[in-house]
Amino acid sequence: MPEVIRFFTIQIIFLAVVLILHTYLGLHVIRRTIIFSDLVLDQLAAFGALVGIGIGIRYGTPSSYLVSLVAVLFGAFLLAVFKPRNKLIPREAIIGIMYAVALALSLLVADKLSGGETYVTKTLSGCMLWVTWPLVIVTIIAYVALLLFHYKFRHKFIGLTEKNVEIKNEKFWDFLFFTTQGIITVLVVPIAGVLLAYAFLMIPAAIVAMFTRKWASAVAIGWGIGFMACLAGLFASYFFDLPYGPSLVLSLGGVFVCAVIIRIVLPQKD
Amino acid sequence: MTHLIQTFSQPFLVCLTMVIILGYMGIHVLQREVIFIDIALAQIAVVGAIVAHVTFGVHGDSMLSYACAFGVTLIASIFYSLVRKKVNQIPLEAVIGVSYAIAAAAALFLVGVAPGGHIHVQQMLAGSILWATWRDVLLCVVVFSVVGCCFYIFRGPFKEISDNYENALKKGIKVVWWDLFFYALFGIVITLAVRIGGVVVIFALLIIPATVSALFSSSFGKRLVIGGAVGIVATIAGFLFANRFDFSIGSAISLFLGGSLVIAVFFRICLKLITARRDYGG
Repeated sequence: MPEVIRFFTIQIIFLAVVLILHTYLGLHVIRRTIIFSDLVLDQLAAFGALVGIGIGIRYGTPSSYLVSLVAVLFGAFLLAVFKPRNKLIPREAIIGIMYAVALALSLLVADKLSGGETYVTKTLSGCMLWVTWPLVIVTIIAYVALLLFHYKFRHKFIGLTEKNVEIKNEKFWDFLFFTTQGIITVLVVPIAGVLLAYAFLMIPAAIVAMFTRKWASAVAIGWGIGFMACLAGLFASYFFDLPYGPSLVLSLGGVFVCAVIIRIVLPQKD
Repeated sequence: MTHLIQTFSQPFLVCLTMVIILGYMGIHVLQREVIFIDIALAQIAVVGAIVAHVTFGVHGDSMLSYACAFGVTLIASIFYSLVRKKVNQIPLEAVIGVSYAIAAAAALFLVGVAPGGHIHVQQMLAGSILWATWRDVLLCVVVFSVVGCCFYIFRGPFKEISDNYENALKKGIKVVWWDLFFYALFGIVITLAVRIGGVVVIFALLIIPATVSALFSSSFGKRLVIGGAVGIVATIAGFLFANRFDFSIGSAISLFLGGSLVIAVFFRICLKLITARRDYGG
């Protein structure tokens, strides 16, 4: 198979798989206004990878993934447990503070690594161009498993978000929700970087949430829009030799800005 | 000791001015539930500074660079004010969060081709408080005082909107214009503060003191005093820690602010237990 076709096939399959679950989880994140939660987990995954480098584990190896997973599971636990009852403190504030502390810790670790600033940039922008078939297969298996899990327990998770039904063990289901977010974070951040992973989650969901409240159609339309925007970014990046991750985020961002303008010009009559 | 004061006097004074202005703004930010606003505007200001550098070749500390940074934050302020009023399907926080991602990607996009991009990225996150000069101190005092005066003079509508947006709308307050003014003032402070302090510490100084103060009081004045005290103590601890163990100051202060919240929560729980025990005993 010619190199160019192999490259595009692998990238397109990766994007198509990743965007389904990200759009669905993004809808939860937006409707619950816990926008920072993904950045916390992304940053903790990056922090785990940086700590791994500090103790001699090479970036992107299975051991590096494991250290990230431990950091992320700890983050998922904290996210599920900390729910301020004080009305003056929104939950998002606590999540934001966790993000700031995780970022500060990452920078402190990077301070002590030789070439630390290179790793900080790497964890931000990722190395999506190095996506390989084994990685795509592992990602597909993990994502399909998580999708089935979310489909089976969709009433619990949607109930948590819509707050229309009484959920027993709310913190436990919250923990499972953040753990799912954490697992996909660990899989995606080393490849896509913090920013692109965050953009996959937030942007397609934010676009579609402005136009529908139905879950199934929102996931389908959000996936379609996100996939098309990512393809545009991918081709622009390849043919014009532009930075990969930022090109995809900017492409998604362009669609988002257009959607917001449409909503401003044509406000929905409730 | 003398050496410590000589080295840290300018950085510390800069931090002190930031503690005061950001402590005040933080209370509004928590009430409006737009926690992301600081990081987003900071990233947007960075994009403006990079555009100024790429287009005009000016240094990040020049007036033209500040003007470009403020120009793009103003555009973002207009966008947020309009979205808050017209788009009610998703929270403003989500729009701000997405605009952060776009701005961060734009910054990486622009520095991606420039040599030394990595160092630039880390610098905009961690900042360079240690290298603050007397000029920075003066600039912070003047700019933050002017902005502080504006916040004081127009505290009525700002507080009304922060307390309850829908009520403010019903009362006929021109929310879009006041929001635009609020976010523009915010943009001025963030543009200057982030250039000196970096994204992380500015975010921590904005959110954490306001959160700690909310644990102990709902009065605006008391919250300002509590938040200010927490900010100053964490800043001093951060300076001493960074000096002793050779870490960047901004990250160290952020960690101590995070620690102060943990201590405050613990203290609050202890207070509740003591009160409950006393009531039970009585």
